Amino acid sequence: MLYLLRLEWKKIRKLTSFRLFSICYLILLPAILLTGLRFDELPPPINTNEVFFMFPTVWQYLGYIGNWLCFFFFGFLSIVVVTTEHSYRTMRQNIITGLSRQQYFLSKFYLIVVVSLLAALYYALCGFTIGYLNTEAIYWHKVWQHADYIPRYFLMCFGYMAFGLFLGFMIRRTGIALFLYLAYIMFIELILRWGIHLQIVEHRSMHFYPMNAVEDLVALPFLEMADEFTSKYGFSIYLQPWEASITVLVYSALFLYLAYWRVTRSDL
Amino acid sequence: MNVLRINGLTKKYGRIKAVDELSLEVEQGMAYGILGPNGSGKTTTLGMVLDITHPDSGSFEWFEGQYGRDARRHVGALLETPNFYPYLNAIDNLGIVAHIKQVKAPRFDELLKLVNLYERRTSKFRTYSLGMKQRLAIASAMVGDPEVLIFDEPTNGLDPQGIAEIRNTLQRIAETGKTIIMASHILDEVEKVCSHVAIIKNGHLLASGTVGAIISDDFLVEVAAEDMPGLQAAFKTDSRIKKAELQEEGVLLLHLENETPAAAINEWAFSKGHTLSHLRIVKKSLEAEFLEITANQ
Repeated sequence: MLYLLRLEWKKIRKLTSFRLFSICYLILLPAILLTGLRFDELPPPINTNEVFFMFPTVWQYLGYIGNWLCFFFFGFLSIVVVTTEHSYRTMRQNIITGLSRQQYFLSKFYLIVVVSLLAALYYALCGFTIGYLNTEAIYWHKVWQHADYIPRYFLMCFGYMAFGLFLGFMIRRTGIALFLYLAYIMFIELILRWGIHLQIVEHRSMHFYPMNAVEDLVALPFLEMADEFTSKYGFSIYLQPWEASITVLVYSALFLYLAYWRVTRSDL
Repeated sequence: MNVLRINGLTKKYGRIKAVDELSLEVEQGMAYGILGPNGSGKTTTLGMVLDITHPDSGSFEWFEGQYGRDARRHVGALLETPNFYPYLNAIDNLGIVAHIKQVKAPRFDELLKLVNLYERRTSKFRTYSLGMKQRLAIASAMVGDPEVLIFDEPTNGLDPQGIAEIRNTLQRIAETGKTIIMASHILDEVEKVCSHVAIIKNGHLLASGTVGAIISDDFLVEVAAEDMPGLQAAFKTDSRIKKAELQEEGVLLLHLENETPAAAINEWAFSKGHTLSHLRIVKKSLEAEFLEITANQ
């Protein structure tokens, strides 16, 4: 495993998009939250900007920002690391040089696991630091009240990256894969869920779509507002965290299996 | 030892058979040329033995199976184009190859000097000319000193100077006794580098053997004089000459049984009253031979 991870590191450490995406993530995650300092008064139900920085709500707000950043930067990264190796024909050369197809696939799989872990760790670090500096009285049960966000955050990042890896291996062309990734998450799945599924059956099964589950792992923090929708449709617009976790794991396994199948079967 | 044994390998693309029931054997120490026109299935064959193309049927075995699935780590190969990470320099790119092959102490400097890239070792791959890319590919195939080297059209797209450089490098490698498998459509190249040759066309094996056996051993001489029909008639009476054919270029091509000095031929023609305006000894190239073999199929 270390052998494959060190190989990936040799490949990406000088990759421009890897450096750019990582730096953007590292800077933007705390920076976007801290722009909240400029808004002293906020409309209800938030009322004050303090909730952005205090335990335990800091986990929710920082997590939601991270959700967008992971969707963009790490989703893109997982596509780019696969498709560029295709266009440079280096994947083919790796196999010729001696890697097996299984090893090649595993090296990408380990990469997304490690990147997701590091992203979640950085999220935890930022969350603790910001929360610690901005909470007047620190009660440990408050700190840990939403700490389950950390493993959920990891799974969220992993879910995006597994989907990206799947598109990368299936489509192989950077531009088309990136476009589909954005289009699917931002439009296509919404149309499928709200435009088609809901019209056929008005049931909360419409939430069990791969990218919706990923988003719901670290969802928009205004859960209170969701009640309005609940009354309209008779069910919550969110998945429960445990439901979202299982859904993401099942879909990710499926995506990764299909990608693996493609790697081992196709001519290069 | 048997380095590579290919048994009835077949690959179809739709209805076209790129490789058809191909069988070959490469022994240790051979410089084995796979010759064939473009699209004859050379690269497909190499792709199959290197695990990047799945065969439809048939089998192959490396090193009599002694390394199992790790066999490719003992093979250094360059297929079609040089494929490297454009944003990395030569050292970093070779580092990735060495990492995959698990080479403990790779001697990059030595290799880069061998292919004349040492001065540019810290330049990014994307800044290289085609010839430099090709040379880096040769260096990368040699990382870890593999037991077999595979080159596929190593001089494709190079200028004459580049071609000469690559051929010299390949000849030097072949002289060290390393097993080489080289695919090419240029016969001259195979003739210069290889000891054995297999000629393939449309995925079929047409002929194989030592380069010497495939090349006919007639000794050829081109001559010309003012009275060409007279010259031809005169040479036909000479017992040493098997055939005398008029060529399109207006010269007479003589097929001789044995090697004969040019002076002797000139003297003989003069004694028959013909003053030669042209006299050239032609060693029949594999190229002509190759065209003959492939045209007959």
